[in-house]
Parts: sequence; C-alpha cells; structure tokens
Amino acid sequence: MSDADADLIRALAGASAAKPPALSPALEAELARLQPVKTRRPLRQIATLAGISGVYAAGLVAMFTVRGDLHELPMPWLLAAGIAWLLGFVIPCYLALVPRAGSVTPRWRWAAASAVVASIGFVVLGLFVHPSGPHSHTLGWEHFPRGHSCLELGVASALVPVIFGAVFLRGALPVGSRWVAAALGAGGGCLGGLVLHLHCPVTDAPHVGLVHGGVVLVSALLAAALVPRATDKPLS
Amino acid sequence: MADPRELMERYVDGDARAFRELYALVAPRLLGYLMKMAKSRALADDLLQQTFLKVHRARAAYVRGADPMPWIYAIAHRTFIDEVRKKKRAVVGVADGDEVPEVAAGLTGEADGARDEPADPELTKAALEALEDLPTGQREAVVLTKLDGKSVAEAAEIAGTTVGAMKVRAHRGYEALRKLLGAKKPPPQEARRE
Repeated sequence: MSDADADLIRALAGASAAKPPALSPALEAELARLQPVKTRRPLRQIATLAGISGVYAAGLVAMFTVRGDLHELPMPWLLAAGIAWLLGFVIPCYLALVPRAGSVTPRWRWAAASAVVASIGFVVLGLFVHPSGPHSHTLGWEHFPRGHSCLELGVASALVPVIFGAVFLRGALPVGSRWVAAALGAGGGCLGGLVLHLHCPVTDAPHVGLVHGGVVLVSALLAAALVPRATDKPLS
Repeated sequence: MADPRELMERYVDGDARAFRELYALVAPRLLGYLMKMAKSRALADDLLQQTFLKVHRARAAYVRGADPMPWIYAIAHRTFIDEVRKKKRAVVGVADGDEVPEVAAGLTGEADGARDEPADPELTKAALEALEDLPTGQREAVVLTKLDGKSVAEAAEIAGTTVGAMKVRAHRGYEALRKLLGAKKPPPQEARRE
C-alpha cells in the first residue's frame, strides 16, 4: 500500500469512529421483557420439511391414483427419473435452508444456481426423454392446453414445502431472499414433478417437458414473487 | 474482548446484559459503516437503532455456533437499502458542520495502519466528500473492504452480491475515490501560505 493510500484510509477510518447512541426506548422496552427463544436448527428443519412434504406428496398420489401405464414403462427410466425428481426436491431445499457451518444466512447463491438448473433441466429432460407404453396417453400440441390440470396439481404439490420453508426462514434472510425463495419453489416444483411422474399417463414431449418440467419453473417464479413477503416480515 | 458468538448465545437464552455487551461491541463499527452509507449522523443513528430492533425481533433465526456479525451487517445493509427506497432518494447530504467525525478511538476492525497516527483533518474532509460522490454500491464496497477490514467474501455476503461483483465494485470504487480525491484534495500547507 502506498503512503497516499494509507493516508486516505486513515482519513476515512478516523471519521468512522463515532460513539453510538444509547438504546432506543423501543429496544429498551423489548429488552425489559426479554425471554429465551428457540433458535433455528437448519438440519432439523430440512428433515421436517422433507418428511412432511413426502407424506403430503404420497397422499396426493394415493388420492389422484397411480398412472395406469406404470408397469409398462422401462424400469431404469422410471427409477432414474424418480430419483432425479427427488434430488431436484431435496438439493434446492437443503441449500435454501441449511447455511454453511458458522453462518446464519443460507447459501443463497448456490440455492439460486440450483433453482436455475432445476427449472431448465427438467424441461429439457422432459422434452427429450419421455418413453411410453401401450396404455400411455398423448395430447400433442393440438390438445396441449388440456394439460393445465397437471400444472395445477404440480404447483399444489409445491405448496407444502414452500410454506414450511418460508416459515422456517423468517428473519434469516436479510439478503438474497428472492433467490432462496426461488430455490424453495423449484424444490417444491420438483416434488410436484415427482407426483406427476407417478400419476400422469400422458407421455408426449410437449406435455412432459413443458407442463411437468414447467411446474418447476412456475413454482420457482411464484415463490420468488410471494415468499419474501413472509420471510422478510420480522425485519420490516 | 468478548466473542460475538458467545454474547449472541447468551442473548438468545434471555440474558439482556449480553445484548448490551453485543451492542457495545458491534454498534461503533456498524455506526461507522452506516454513517458512510447514509452520509448523515442523524440518519445513521436511526438506521442503527432500526438494525438492532430487527436483530432483536429476528433473533430466533440465529443458528447457534454461527458468527452473527455478517448477519447483523446484512441486516444493516438491508435497513439502509429499504430506507433509501422508502424515501425515494439515494442520500441525505452532509451539511456543513454536520458532526460526522466524533470520537476517534475505540474502534476495531479498521484497515491496517488506520490508527497509527492522527489523520489530517483536511484530508479527512476531502476524503469523505469524495466518498459521498461514489455510487452506493461502490461506496459500500470501499467501506466494507477497505475501511471495515472485511474480506471480499464477507462483504459480498453482507451486500447480497457475488464475490466477483464485490471485487469489481471495490476496485472501481477505490480507483474512483483516488481520482475524486485528486481533484478535491486541498493544496499543501506551504502552497496555501504563499
């Protein structure tokens, strides 16, 4: 560092040494009735979120019935796609909820990256890999809008993980809340994708790619728009 | 010196004295940061109070064993940004005689050599004016990395940006500051006497 730089930093640092004011009456009042609080336990939260969301998703599949062509589909694809959806659910939710060791705020940059990868990846995967059986259905581009019920079911599946995640993260996200919310939405959307994977017998590329895969993108966008209102609340 | 982690843990366990100790430890540093961002002592005081009120209300979000400092700084950053947006104006100008420098002691975390010898008051004034002219993002990057002694990664975490973007902002901000200071710096004592 040159002498001029040292002088500059010394000058600015000297101006920063100010005596802080006394605590405000509002803060004093809060401190007067201070109670112990249960602090955030991220690993417990992710386990709770995954457990409850899993039960909810299983309930949805049971309620809306398992797809009729399930036994006709190639088992390796069925398993691999199921695992991919499951990882798509767990990884973004984990990154959104669990900070790195020694930190309070979650890894929002990694969460953001996972949301983007999941949102694009499942659309591409669905467009290019969509095996079918004799009892599979096809809508094609002609009846593409009829797939809206799958979009609704997928987004509904995402509700539980997103709501739980938002509750768990209240106050923990002074920065990056939209990206963390997008990750929660993408994770929830992947859970929706898993539900559709087990329920919906439509196997054409536009439906599997744009509707089943699109659930991830739509859920991520909705969560990014709405969740910060809840997570930022204690800070406003 | 007390460890912020230990103080935070005692505080979330209901120890109000630990909060006061945490305030005494953190508030001077945070006030320095907020003064340079807000450019007004009164506004910086208000933002500091808001920041600690938010920390208090969000204390359940703390993760035991974690360093609370980046989180508290990030809340201060967010409070400042919210205030700027709310008031629809980027800054409040420092009027002549506004008491920016006050007690030149007791700070920790400044850049190396910042306390070795007293700063030239003329240079301080010129440097503060030059700092005020920087865009908010660059000003924050300079304050956090050059003055508060934060690493680029810590500063990025506080400001909610990437490490690369913070590096660029800090570099550009510091270069701009030097240029601005070159233009504003008062002439040397000898030259002025002539």
